[in-house]
Amino acid sequence: MIAKNIFLLLAFAACWSCEAPPRPAASSTAIKSNEKFITSDVINPNEEYVMVTTAINLPLYVNHDQAAFKKWGEKMGVRISILGPAEWDVPAQIATLEQVITGKPAGLLVNGTDPGIAQAIKKAVAAGIPTIVYDSEIPNSDRHCFIGSDWYEMGRLQGERMAKILNGKGKIACIGILGLENMEAGFRGLQDVLKKYPGMVFLGTYDDKANVETAARITADLLSANPDLAGIAGFDSNTGPGMALSVKEAGRVGKVKLTTVDFEPEHLRLVKEGVIDYLIGQKRELFTWLGAQFLFDMRHKTVALSGNDALAGVVPVPKTIITGSIEIDKTNVDIFLQNLKERK
Amino acid sequence: MKPALYLRDKVFFLTAIIVILCIVMAVTFPAQFATIDNFSQLLLNLSIDTIVAVGMMILMIAGMFDLSVGSIVAFSGGMAGYLMYYHNVNFLLAIAAGIGGSVIIGFLNGWLIARARINPMIQTLAMMGIVRGLALMLSGAGIQNFSYEFVYIGQSKLLGLQAPVWYMLAIVLLFIFLVRRTIFFRKYYFIGANEKAARFSGIRVEKMKIWAFVLSALLAGIAGILLSSRLGAALSTSGKGLELRAITAVILGGASLSGGYGRIAGAFLGALFMALINNMLIISRVSGYWQEIILGCILILAVGLDQWLLKKIENK
Repeated sequence: MIAKNIFLLLAFAACWSCEAPPRPAASSTAIKSNEKFITSDVINPNEEYVMVTTAINLPLYVNHDQAAFKKWGEKMGVRISILGPAEWDVPAQIATLEQVITGKPAGLLVNGTDPGIAQAIKKAVAAGIPTIVYDSEIPNSDRHCFIGSDWYEMGRLQGERMAKILNGKGKIACIGILGLENMEAGFRGLQDVLKKYPGMVFLGTYDDKANVETAARITADLLSANPDLAGIAGFDSNTGPGMALSVKEAGRVGKVKLTTVDFEPEHLRLVKEGVIDYLIGQKRELFTWLGAQFLFDMRHKTVALSGNDALAGVVPVPKTIITGSIEIDKTNVDIFLQNLKERK
Repeated sequence: MKPALYLRDKVFFLTAIIVILCIVMAVTFPAQFATIDNFSQLLLNLSIDTIVAVGMMILMIAGMFDLSVGSIVAFSGGMAGYLMYYHNVNFLLAIAAGIGGSVIIGFLNGWLIARARINPMIQTLAMMGIVRGLALMLSGAGIQNFSYEFVYIGQSKLLGLQAPVWYMLAIVLLFIFLVRRTIFFRKYYFIGANEKAARFSGIRVEKMKIWAFVLSALLAGIAGILLSSRLGAALSTSGKGLELRAITAVILGGASLSGGYGRIAGAFLGALFMALINNMLIISRVSGYWQEIILGCILILAVGLDQWLLKKIENK
């Protein structure tokens, strides 16, 4: 009898406390509480800004995003942490983000790796944490600000340059990571340009899984299957070195035109050697430096846009910033190489 | 039970380590670790891995394993998402299609391993690639904007805990009962311990093996639906590396690669242990560069300590 009563009581408690997820219209980016933000520039010793990313040791992230974020932390004298899985693992990034939210950091800088992280970002915003997404936009995430690149434009610029180098004729292939929102936008940008040139034939999009060896293998296969291949466009940081390796091994340097993203030292060297014809780089340092600064400004109410931004529902940072891109070819590669030498 | 026997029981041993870890963390990080928010998040993060680990535990009791479970998680969510988003299929039918597709994959794995005698590692490795490709085709750059009903399944809360935690607990309890009390599941211990003897004693080993793979894929399919619903998105990268996490959890929880051993509670505790370590590293702000190294070392330490204690007891 007692057991039955306990069971009924538990069942009642369970039904009573069942909580449905919020309907889509219920979400808001407004900062709801006045108390959650500090009103002075004095830095609390526990004030911590956290970057949550994936593939945390990817050289592109380490040399640009993380380096700028660390420098910003040193300059401002605040604690910073960089967290996330070692592999490209979006669910693990989400799990990390959700665990960080429970500790209520001063601000969150989230690498927009996939639209699937939208729910976790919503949780951070709902918890009153200033949250900025960088690199790629995450739709429906309620983030306070997005700073990043327009990947469609990066694909379009690669397509325009490829058409210019090849005089609007030839077979083109494209290598990147399939299934990522930003890269798929890049692929679309490239293909939209190629459609304007009837003489250009698009062979397809291939997945290098963010791996140099895989990019090299795909390139070698493409070269064997298409002796008249005119060019390859690359879309992830590892594609450039991979495709350059196979083009060199096949003795087709200069005959197969290569365009790709990013400007790591290896990419720049390959442009200098004439293996890669064109690089389109992102202003990644700006993503995290500006992003961190905006988080700080939100937390410290550096810029007030009303009598009380929090109560007025005003987010005192820009909604979206597209930082633009950097175009590199043989004409200006030396300036970037010089910059690398100076940094050493 | 004598103290020595307690130490020989991996479930007890793992529970003891988990309790010690919790106490250390609660003392070191009282504001961050010992909170309801953190515990509910911890349970939520291990729920998908545990559901998959339950299926893996049954396979490993029978002396097999399945490397395609991570891909099945992505496939199941991708299939349901694809049908709902592109074809406006009712969410229940879409879920049924996702889970049904997963069951077919499990059946194919089981049939090819049991009947065509393909090595389980080769078969499930090949299936892992095939199914990941299918998931990529279905999910593309990720599918979002699911119906409220679908999202409700993974995002609603009961007693402060998100739904996947309750599904996980229900599945764990159900399989603890089934594996302990039903003849059908007890047969897997015989198969794992001595396949030939099991066959001579009248157990239809091939059929049982097929069922084990179907069951593992079914649980992976359910996990995939829950993950998609929880994230509000079907991602082609979902479940990446999950197969290895599940195998690690199951081995930590007392299973043996040669079969014949293991308990469902062990699968849960193994997954809990790994989630706890992960939580510990995040709370203590250990850099991502170190996390993999530390995780590997802790796993070796846990298994090594267990073996050392076992030897000590046997020598007494």
